[in-house]
Amino acid sequence: MILLAFVSNASPRVRDGLVKPIRMACFVFSLLLFVLTTGMFFKYFGEVSWMDIEFNDYEYFVSYAWIDSLGINWTVGLDALSFPMVWLTTFLLPVTMIATWNEKYGATYFPLLLMMGGALIGVFVSLDLFMFYVFWELTLIPMFFLILKWGGADRKYAAQKFFIYTFTASVVMLLGLITLYFLQEPNTLASAGSMTGRSFSIPELIDTARTANVGDNWFLGKTMQNILFVMLMIGFLVKLPAVPFHTWLPDAHVQAPTGGSMLLAGVMLKMGAYGMFRLPLSLFPHALYHFQLALMIIGMVSLVWGAIVCLGQTNLKKMVAYSSVSHMGVILIGIATMQPMGWAAALFMMFAHGIISPMLFAVCGAFKHHYHSMEIGAMRGMAKHSPWLATSMMFAWMASLGLPLLAGFVAEIMMLIALWHMISLDGWSIWWMVGPALVLALTAAYYLWSMQRTIFEGGDETQPPANMVGKIIPDISNPEKFAMLILAFFTILFGIMPWIALDMMDDWTKQIFNGLILFVGKGGA
Amino acid sequence: MSNLKTVEPFGEGFISALCPELILFAGLILLIIVPNLGDGKFRIPGTQTRIPWLLGGKRFKLTSDPRLPSWIAVITIGASFVMTILSFQDGVERTAIVSEGGTQILMINAFSRVFELIFFGALTLAAFASMNRLDVKGIGARVSTEELYNNRRQGDFYILMITCALGMSIVALAQDLFVLFIGLELASFSTYVLVAFFKESKAGTEAGMKYFIVGSVASGVGLYGLSMLYLWAGSLQLDVLAEMFVLSGSDALPMIGIGFVLVGFGFKVSAAPFHFAAPDAYSGASSPVAGVLATASKAMGIVGLLRILLIVAAPESSEEGTVWLVCLGLLSVITMTWGNLAALGSTNPKRMLAYSSVAHAGYMLAAITAIGAWNWDSTLSGDPGEAAVVVLTALMFHLMVLVAFKLGAFLVLSVLESEGGGSRLSSLGGLAKREPFLAVAMFIFMISLAGVPPLAGFMSKLLVIMGIVKVALGDMSEALATGSELGLSDVHWVWWLALAMVINSAISVYYYLRIGVVMFFEEPEEGKTGPLPAGWQVRFAILACLLATVFMGVAGDKILEICEIAAQSFNYNWA
Repeated sequence: MILLAFVSNASPRVRDGLVKPIRMACFVFSLLLFVLTTGMFFKYFGEVSWMDIEFNDYEYFVSYAWIDSLGINWTVGLDALSFPMVWLTTFLLPVTMIATWNEKYGATYFPLLLMMGGALIGVFVSLDLFMFYVFWELTLIPMFFLILKWGGADRKYAAQKFFIYTFTASVVMLLGLITLYFLQEPNTLASAGSMTGRSFSIPELIDTARTANVGDNWFLGKTMQNILFVMLMIGFLVKLPAVPFHTWLPDAHVQAPTGGSMLLAGVMLKMGAYGMFRLPLSLFPHALYHFQLALMIIGMVSLVWGAIVCLGQTNLKKMVAYSSVSHMGVILIGIATMQPMGWAAALFMMFAHGIISPMLFAVCGAFKHHYHSMEIGAMRGMAKHSPWLATSMMFAWMASLGLPLLAGFVAEIMMLIALWHMISLDGWSIWWMVGPALVLALTAAYYLWSMQRTIFEGGDETQPPANMVGKIIPDISNPEKFAMLILAFFTILFGIMPWIALDMMDDWTKQIFNGLILFVGKGGA
Repeated sequence: MSNLKTVEPFGEGFISALCPELILFAGLILLIIVPNLGDGKFRIPGTQTRIPWLLGGKRFKLTSDPRLPSWIAVITIGASFVMTILSFQDGVERTAIVSEGGTQILMINAFSRVFELIFFGALTLAAFASMNRLDVKGIGARVSTEELYNNRRQGDFYILMITCALGMSIVALAQDLFVLFIGLELASFSTYVLVAFFKESKAGTEAGMKYFIVGSVASGVGLYGLSMLYLWAGSLQLDVLAEMFVLSGSDALPMIGIGFVLVGFGFKVSAAPFHFAAPDAYSGASSPVAGVLATASKAMGIVGLLRILLIVAAPESSEEGTVWLVCLGLLSVITMTWGNLAALGSTNPKRMLAYSSVAHAGYMLAAITAIGAWNWDSTLSGDPGEAAVVVLTALMFHLMVLVAFKLGAFLVLSVLESEGGGSRLSSLGGLAKREPFLAVAMFIFMISLAGVPPLAGFMSKLLVIMGIVKVALGDMSEALATGSELGLSDVHWVWWLALAMVINSAISVYYYLRIGVVMFFEEPEEGKTGPLPAGWQVRFAILACLLATVFMGVAGDKILEICEIAAQSFNYNWA
């Protein structure tokens, strides 16, 4: 894993003229990564069983001293929380490359994608706060360039907004991390730094927190937990993004190139949710109870607001972007239910959305590429004109609105069940169900409406956009078809057999609930 | 005072102790003599015998080469740099140069050595890069008068560079405020002239004048403060002053005196509200000189501030101390915010870097406030050394890496300046197409300034924030471990300085990124296509800066250790 992160970060940025070999090299490399992680899943490497990993226990665990005096270590490892995310990243990398096979300036584009993937993997595997933060910020740089170089007309504004927005949030998170760092009892952890006596190690911190959260004692005390929880959550919520911190997302998505959007929606947004699970939720159970209502409200607002805004969009990509906001609301609600089922739903949502949303953006990208427009209604009668694109679009839209037997449905139904659980077990008001119910209808409405306007309307005579009349517009290219097929295949696979990934997630959430001792003797604070 | 070695001037061990300074001195003399060597003869009066005495006359081919002074300067300062590094190899021995009366004048320890490293490193790079800026024309061929004048000023420029280095290292070594002041003035006067040396534009002269006037007013005020301190204590020895301060530090006289001295140093670090001359000086001076101002000169001011605030005026827990602290804290927040906001609106990259340098001064003041809080504020408890060492380490690391990326950024602008650009944002346009190496380097310097990991700028900013947070939390971790309930009100107010710093660095990202956007995604200015003016020296210097920026970010462990040792040696009471 170390090697992966290293090599992919050091991938060459060579000048033009070598597009083909570079593209091929990047593609082969990312494919190798994919094979590697898939092999890990099927236990080819190291015989790791992804079930029954104890909470805060990691596979492929490696740790080297990096900066001794501060207690910084190069620590990496995988558990059932991070492994699906790593797999997702390595899966999306080659698919993204295929889908955008003919992107211009390929000699820098593909290495940038690879760098992006390296940084993302780094975020998911790192078990050291310092390293985590380094990779967290490192993901910004390739994405910044992807948007700037290959983006739409308003790309400068979008790229800078994206960078500054998320950077601001993550420096607040950084201050939270440092405060957490110095609140440890000095010289108690094994990997403590020689100068400061504190350690950045995540496993050791979680261990300390677990042993401290006993009875009426809380790790660092209740107030401090709440303060740190808020500081960390600011960083994660902006990344997720949750309303009201979401405004960078539509801009970034609309301007970003297809490949950038696919990775952005597919994996980068999940960094926020992943971070929540990894740090605040594992460390600060009291704060979690304290802010349960707030999380629920933010989740509900994201869900409903995202869907309502979608209804009003005329831009295809913007609509998809807001639907992402809406889906991320599902994750937050899942967390806020405080049910193992809800957390598993959130995890699976991360995963499912990570497969579906790249397909949405791939469709948008192909649409833009062929019709030079993003407006819903600019193109009519696509089913007749480009049956492949129309089919992919229909499939992606259906998957995103939660059609049974597709991956998104599983997560949504689990979230609903968890919500019912919460209402019936913990005595919440039944009115909390209104939001999700409403959104089910809204989501169906905006997707079906946009589909009807682009794919079917127009009768026998198709109506290409005004600026394209009289030109020959081909259907999507073979690489694009191939990418769509792969994405569709996995959407169906995880829709019919969700247990492939769901089992380990479910197991992890059970472990974490046991590990946090939420229900043993505490019963809510 | 354990194992302190005292050396009398020209006594045993004097040469090895002051090796870097002596090299500089020798270089200075060489620079004055060597370009004048020629076949000049001296006729003994009353005879026809002419004795060759080598000065004047028709100069030799080698000594008349106008490129010679620059090489002498680079080699001299570089040699001092290397000697300073070597002195770290088997631990720096604490050595004091004492006068005949036994009072300490200069003190050589790890702390001063680290600062010497910063000064010499910055000046070597700047001198090396300047070789491309002061054009040498007409070598070997017939030389016109104008070219001759131009070539003659080479010597002056590099002599000033060396005196600057000498003055700065005296500041780092001084144990007596008066000696410190002399060093400060030596370095300052050199920089005033260096700023005005950029004769290609009128802005240079104007900037030099402005810088000189404001600077001498600040020095005057500082000197006045010194005289007050002398009146009060009867000595300007640091340790004497420190003892006196414990006895009667809260009197009006020393307070006002120290305040005045702080004004003098505040100007050097370009802290608000004494920063007004800085943007003009930076944008008027040639870029390598501006880089020196932003790195070495600033480090010199910080040494002064540290000496005054932490050695002299650091009584244990006196109530009056907190008043100073709050002032300093406010000043730091104002400085960083002002610098960043002003940088947001500036379209001249050199001015922008100047304002960003003001903002960095704010961060450093915040760090000093944190050390002060640890020492002065009775609400904080704990070992006085521990936190101060962390913050000081951070501060020194910050100054050190600043040389890498801030100077590097100025050097990139220097290349642009050679073709008349550099003072407009648009002149950076299309740099990525014209010279990708420079564009990538500049982008890395910029995001390092903004504090994006894994670069050196991130490490240093992280360390400073860490130091402040450590001070702010004090021994809360022990209290929490025993199960007591603490909230935000229990955190010391310097924690909010860290928050201010964090928010400020988020603001700063905007203008740093803008440079990147212009370089990579905008077209070059009219008629400015094709490669930039040649010059391998400046590119070599930029490469060195680039490597240092990346290296110290990823593997800064060793340097951090050196800084830690240095921080411990700053005040022997802590170690």
